[in-house]
Amino acid sequence: MNSKRIISLFSIIALVIFLFAVPTLISNYYWLSVLSLVLINILLVSSVRTVILIGHLSLGQVGFAAVGAYGAALLAMEAGLPFWAALISGGLMAGLLAMALGYPFLKVKGMYFAILTLLAAESIRNVAFFWASLTGGFLGLTNIPVPEPIVIAGRVLMDFSRVDNYIYIVLAVVLVSLFILYKLEHSHLNTRWSAIRDSEELARSSGINVSWYKILNFAIAGFFAGISGALFAFFQHNISADAVSRFGALTSMYMLIYLVVGGERKFAGPILGTFFIMLFSEFTRPFKEYQLMLIGTFTVVFVIFIPEGLTSLPGMLKLLYRKTFKTKVIKG
Amino acid sequence: MDLPADVWVQALINGFTLSWIYILMALGLAFIMSIARILQLAHGEVYMIGAYIVFYLTTAFGLNIYLALPLSMIIMAVFGIFMEKFIFRRFQNQLLAPIIASMGITMILTNVAIVSFGLYTRSVPRIADGSFQVFGGSFPKDRVIVTAITVFLLLMVTLFLKKFKSGQAMVAISQNREGAMLAGINPVQVSRLAFIIACALAAAGGGLTGAILNVSPFMGTPPLVKGIVIIVLGGLGSLPGAVVGGMILGLLDGILPIMFDPLVAALSPLILVVIFLLFRPQGLFGHE
Repeated sequence: MNSKRIISLFSIIALVIFLFAVPTLISNYYWLSVLSLVLINILLVSSVRTVILIGHLSLGQVGFAAVGAYGAALLAMEAGLPFWAALISGGLMAGLLAMALGYPFLKVKGMYFAILTLLAAESIRNVAFFWASLTGGFLGLTNIPVPEPIVIAGRVLMDFSRVDNYIYIVLAVVLVSLFILYKLEHSHLNTRWSAIRDSEELARSSGINVSWYKILNFAIAGFFAGISGALFAFFQHNISADAVSRFGALTSMYMLIYLVVGGERKFAGPILGTFFIMLFSEFTRPFKEYQLMLIGTFTVVFVIFIPEGLTSLPGMLKLLYRKTFKTKVIKG
Repeated sequence: MDLPADVWVQALINGFTLSWIYILMALGLAFIMSIARILQLAHGEVYMIGAYIVFYLTTAFGLNIYLALPLSMIIMAVFGIFMEKFIFRRFQNQLLAPIIASMGITMILTNVAIVSFGLYTRSVPRIADGSFQVFGGSFPKDRVIVTAITVFLLLMVTLFLKKFKSGQAMVAISQNREGAMLAGINPVQVSRLAFIIACALAAAGGGLTGAILNVSPFMGTPPLVKGIVIIVLGGLGSLPGAVVGGMILGLLDGILPIMFDPLVAALSPLILVVIFLLFRPQGLFGHE
C-alpha cells in the first residue's frame, strides 16, 4: 500500500468519524430531520444515477421507493420482522419488481423509457392508494414500529424512537449503500455498463449479454431505491400514497433536479446536488407560497447556464483561469 | 354485473368524453416528442393554466365559454412560442436537460396558479344543462358538446397535416429529419409550429375539462399520464394510433372502475403497456 492510498484511507475514516459526530454537533430536532431526509434523498438520487450508467433515464425510482417503504413497513407491522430484516426485504422486493419491469421496459430507449418508468411509478402509487385492505388506502400506514434498541447486558444503549438517534441508522445505511454503489462503479460490471451506454450493438458484438446487464443494473438501482424508501418509512412512522405525498410524481421531479444540479457525470453529483437544493429550499422557506417558483426558476436558469452541474464547476473554473491568464504566454 | 343499463351508458359516455380530451393531450405531446424530439413534462400544466384562463375569463369578465376557449388557446399558443424560443430550442435531441427545464416550468406554472387562484377547486360555468333524449337513453348535453368540440379540433388538425404545406412539413420532419432538412424544411420553424399546436390543444383540453369537471392547480398530472399511455399504446407519432389508443383508454377508464375495484382500474394502463411492449413494441399503428 503506497502512501497516497494510506492518506486517502485516513481521510475517508476521518470523514466518516466527522459525519457520525455531526448529529451531536447539531442537536436540533428540525435540522436533524432535514439532515436525515437529505441522506435518504442522496440514496434515492444515487439510484437514479445508477440507471444513467447504462444510458437510460428512470423517472420511476420513487415508485420502487414506495414498494420498499410499504413492503418494509408491512413486514415489520404484520409479520413482526425485526427492523434490519424488514429493511433488506423491502429493498429486495423493490429490486425484484424492477427486474420484472426491466425486461419489457428496457426494450425501448431514451425518452420512451423515461415515460414508461414514470407511468410505472404512478401505477405503483395508485396501487398503494387503492389497495385499502393492505395499505390503509387514503389514510396510509400509521404507527410503523420503531427499530429495536441496541441492548447490551440488559441496559438500553441506544433507542431509535426519535430522530436524534435514528439518524445514525440512516447515516450508516446510506454510507454502506453509497460505498457499494461506488465499488460497483469501479468494478468490471461498470465496464460492461459503459460499453452498453456507448453502443449497444458494439457491446453485443463483443459478447456482452446486453439485456441481462441492463436488467441487472435496473434491479440494483431498484434495490437501493427500495432501501431509501424503507428508511423513509421508519423515519416518518406513517406513510401515505396520495398524489402530493412523498411517493407522488413531484418527488421524482425533485430527485432529477438534485441529480442535474449536482451533475450526473460524477459520483459526487447526487450528494452535492441534494445538499445544495435541499438547503436552498430550506433557506427559501420564508418566501412561503413563492418558494416553488423560486426553485423552478433557479432550476431552469441553472440547466441553461451550467448544464453539467455543480461537479463540473471546478473544471470550468480551471478552463476560465487558463483562458484568462495562460493564453498570453502561449501567444508570446 | 347486476347494474342497471343506465349506469353503464353513463359510464361509457363519461369515459368517451374524457378520452377525447386525453387524445388532445396525447396528440400535442406526440407532436413535441416526434418533431422537437424532447420530452415536455410541463404539458399537463399548460393544460391546467389553459383551464384557469377559461375560468378567469368566464367568471371575471362574464365571457361566453365559446369565446373564452379560443382566447385561452391563443394565449397558451403564444406561451408555447416563448417556451420554444427561450428554453427548449437549445435542448433539441437531449434527454435530461429538457426534462429538468420542463419540471422547472411545471413548478413555476403550478405556483402561479396557486398564488393567483388559491388551492381550491373552482368550476367553470357549465356549457349546457339537461340532456338529449335519443334512442331511449339520455345523453348529458355538456358531454355531447365537449365531444363535438374535441372531434372538431382533431379534424382540423388532421386537415392541417394533410392539406397544408406547413402541416406536411411537420409530418416530414417527424418521419425523417435529415431528409426533410435536405428538402429545404426549416426544423426550427416546424418545431415552433408543433409547440403552438400542442399548447393550443392542451389549453382547449383544459378548458373543456374545466367545463365538465372542475379546475384545480394539480389537475395537470392525470391527463399527462393518460396522454403518455395513449402515445405508447397508439405507437409514436401516429394520429390514428393516438385516436384508437385514446378510445381504448377512455373505455377502460369508464368501465373498469364499475366492474372491478379501483385497484384494477389503476393498474390497467401499466398492464396494457407491458403487454404491448412484450408483444407489439411498435404500438397499434406505429412504424418505429
